[in-house]
Amino acid sequence: MLKNYFKIAFRNLIKNKVYSFINISGLAVGMAATIMIGLWVTDELNFNNHFKDKGSIAQVFQSQTMNANVNTSPAVPRPLEFALRQDHTDNFKHIVMSSWEQPRYLKFGETNIYITGNAMQEGATAMLDLDIISGVKDGLKEKNSIMLSESAAKSLFGNETALGKIVKVNNEDDLIVSSVYKDIPTNNSFSDMEYIIPWKHYVTTQPWLELSKDAWGNNSFQLFVQINENTTMDVVTSKISDVKKNASSETAQFNPQLFLLPMKDWYLRSEFENGVQSGGRIENVWLFGIIGLFILLLACINFVNLSTARSEKRATEVGIRKSIGSQRSQLIFQFLSESFLIVFLSFIVALGLVLLFLNGFNNLASKAIVFPWENLQFWLISLAFVIITAFLAGSYPAIYLSSFNPVAVLKGTFKSGRYSSLPRKILVVAQFTVSVALIIGTLVVMNQIQFSKDRPVGYDKEGLIQIPVMSNEFIGKKDVMRNQFIASGGALEMTGTSGPMTNVWSNRSGYTWDGKPADFQEDLAYTSVSYEFVETLGLKVTAGRGFSREFASDSNAVLLNETAVKYMGLIDPIGKFIRDSDTEDPSPPLKIVGVVEDMIIQSPYSPVKQAMYVFDSEDNTAFYNVRLNPEKSTSENLALIEGVFKKNFPNTPFDYQFVDEEYGAKFESEERVASLARVFTVLAIFISCLGLFGLASFVAEQRTKEIGVRKVLGASISQLWLLLSKDFITLVVIALLIASPLAYYIMGQWLQKFSYRTTVSWDVFAIACFGALIITLIIVSFQAIKAATSNPVKALRTE
Amino acid sequence: MQNILVSLNEATRTVNSGSNKVTLLDNINFNVEEGEFISLMGPSGSGKSTLLNCIGMLDNFTGGGYTFLGEPVHSMKEKNRSKLYKEYIGFVFQAYHLIDELTVYENIETPLLYKNVKSSERKAMVADMLDRFNIVGKKDLFPIQLSGGQQQLVGIARALIGQPKLILADEPTGNLNSKQSEEIMELFAQLNKEGVTIIQATHSESNAAYGSRIINLLDGKIV
Repeated sequence: MLKNYFKIAFRNLIKNKVYSFINISGLAVGMAATIMIGLWVTDELNFNNHFKDKGSIAQVFQSQTMNANVNTSPAVPRPLEFALRQDHTDNFKHIVMSSWEQPRYLKFGETNIYITGNAMQEGATAMLDLDIISGVKDGLKEKNSIMLSESAAKSLFGNETALGKIVKVNNEDDLIVSSVYKDIPTNNSFSDMEYIIPWKHYVTTQPWLELSKDAWGNNSFQLFVQINENTTMDVVTSKISDVKKNASSETAQFNPQLFLLPMKDWYLRSEFENGVQSGGRIENVWLFGIIGLFILLLACINFVNLSTARSEKRATEVGIRKSIGSQRSQLIFQFLSESFLIVFLSFIVALGLVLLFLNGFNNLASKAIVFPWENLQFWLISLAFVIITAFLAGSYPAIYLSSFNPVAVLKGTFKSGRYSSLPRKILVVAQFTVSVALIIGTLVVMNQIQFSKDRPVGYDKEGLIQIPVMSNEFIGKKDVMRNQFIASGGALEMTGTSGPMTNVWSNRSGYTWDGKPADFQEDLAYTSVSYEFVETLGLKVTAGRGFSREFASDSNAVLLNETAVKYMGLIDPIGKFIRDSDTEDPSPPLKIVGVVEDMIIQSPYSPVKQAMYVFDSEDNTAFYNVRLNPEKSTSENLALIEGVFKKNFPNTPFDYQFVDEEYGAKFESEERVASLARVFTVLAIFISCLGLFGLASFVAEQRTKEIGVRKVLGASISQLWLLLSKDFITLVVIALLIASPLAYYIMGQWLQKFSYRTTVSWDVFAIACFGALIITLIIVSFQAIKAATSNPVKALRTE
Repeated sequence: MQNILVSLNEATRTVNSGSNKVTLLDNINFNVEEGEFISLMGPSGSGKSTLLNCIGMLDNFTGGGYTFLGEPVHSMKEKNRSKLYKEYIGFVFQAYHLIDELTVYENIETPLLYKNVKSSERKAMVADMLDRFNIVGKKDLFPIQLSGGQQQLVGIARALIGQPKLILADEPTGNLNSKQSEEIMELFAQLNKEGVTIIQATHSESNAAYGSRIINLLDGKIV
């Protein structure tokens, strides 16, 4: 029986090539998109699955309230560790203090590499369950040891054994390789952690680290924990939330609330709004999941429309089968098995498409998804997917087709009723609504990105490089390097800064100034900078002046950005002082010498934060910012600068970043969303157009006789074209009317998350509507004109 | 000794056309005994086809009683009715109504599929039928490749494959030329001799003459 069904289905497929092509290619494209999105979603959801204790590992976060703004951050103070170990140790299996991920120079013999890693406490190896290839399991126990990832060991020692070798770190410390661990796979936290140095070594390397031991206000560290089996994250959170508040009266005014962010949320739900978890990447997972579902639905709609449109052709078969003993349920089963066959064939094609485009998709989404050939679960889900799709696409046609009355269809009096095409029309409207909404959505995302890119950044980021100089060997070399860089002809100017120009590394409070409101809790972005800060970056000074070597007093000078002036409520700021609020042992007061235009340092979508640029009298330089010589090519400039650098630091690899590229990276996530959205929009349009093409050709065929008669009666080709096209145009116009307000609302909501945002402008709608109409006209006209120009005699003879 | 196969008692069929009630069949009374060959005659619209469809259970009487082999069809559920006609009734149509996508062999086989006959048995039965109608050589052809007479032959073979007690033929020769018509009618006569009960609707006096009894219809009434 089933064989008979498949036979008929197959012969129908071959007999109606165009129809089959539209059905299979539409479904295949839809399914391929859905499979890719499915793989992507799985990949996102599987983040951190490498860690077997994913469920019990967490990071300690804190929310602090400043001027009624709640800021949430993973940065915590060092004494927190001691407090937890002392009073709450029974909750935790591991408590692991960690530095931020930071690049360091590692040197062995002539080999010198610059790689990122962390300083961590001993518990890290057990908590992260590091896969030790050689050496001791407990590689952080000895203070002068270092653990290396497999790839780091390979690049440093080649094929020699790494164990026991002495590595020079940042040209200062000699650390012995205690063990080598397998690289942590991508798609996991810590995947770029290529080395780990012992915490107890790290805290001795710089004086400020020593001092941080009792500084509850110095939020400069990370704290990872693994909780015990007999407790939960919520319980532990409730126990520790007030630890800092109770321990330190000076920070209690900010109401620090500690909580655990479970490892499963690190990647997907790491955004906070007013101290409340507000989502993160999970929103994109949802977004694309829904888009994938919609695309599949569009493809199913094609199937439904074409099957029911062709119903008159199948009606006779239904009548015959009923007259020779078929029950309705058997016919339903037959039509369902037909749709199963088509969906299955489409699935095969879809798999081919996925394999073909997986690489491109990976590039687009910056993923490393591998096709899960050996994953049984994948195939089971795929089977379910095929069956569900077959039902989705096939059930309405099956029920509809099997409902025909045999007497009527066999007598030839069967005509589909006046409203039989209504469901088809509704489905076409639904398809185009989705497509047009996607077009509008994609355009708005692209507009928003462009709008933010066009935002003035406040400095000249082109032709500017930053050279990281975080190790101690660079101390005191700033002016020498500046002079040599300029003398080499590769640079126009240089300034040293304590953080990059594309991020805020430090936020400070604890200042007073004349006119400061009594209960004002200031929070200022803090960067220490050297002379020529203004000149190198090309900042616009709106009041006062930049730092100058001519004023000896500039060693205690500060520049503010315009937002800071407003924020602090300063009128006529030049010459005023910002003082340390610590009255016992105050730092010298800072004199405001100038105000500079706001420069975007953090998110290009957010307002610029109030910032102070303090003259760096202690040489806390982390970066040399070098303005390249515009009269030479970039490669010439870089060669000259590298020459100077090598001459002064022969043992240190020359590393640099282009500031404009670093800035561009801020758009990565939105650009990825935009490019993915673009691809899926194109697919949705393609599928909808295929369906429209199929329906248009069906209608033209169905009305062959009518067209013939009209032609004989004297209708012109353009009149016929209008006759055939206007129905479809009407449908698309209805879709536009539904999609536009829908998209306007949804995209309006989406834009809310950016404080610097574009509006959903009318031209977006104009482009989407115009585009949809043009495409519809082209597709429909193709069929209409074909039908209208055919010989009427031929058309009439078909009766 | 003869069993009553079909018994109609004041059977009526009405339809609503707009606000008017139109009577297609009006108080039909007659019995069909097993082995009869009945010709229904009457002008177009007299209700021949409707009567055949109702007897064949593709359509239902709206009033009166219809008994098939002693079972009251009028009070039966759809499912049992379908079982009954699958078992005992075969249809032959004026327009043959073969399934275009199936070969001759498969067309003949299809009713057996719906009766859940086993594969090996099916093969034997279809082979017999092909043999009997002399169309073995055409078994792999599609309907479109056959002449009208050949198609109707396949249509009859398909109606017979389920070994029905009753064949209902609606103008079986309406689309055929006179020579083909004659062949088909000869075949019906032959089948009737072998014991199959036949009811045919026809316009043609000569075709009607093959039957053992003629029932004349006019405006839904037996005259």
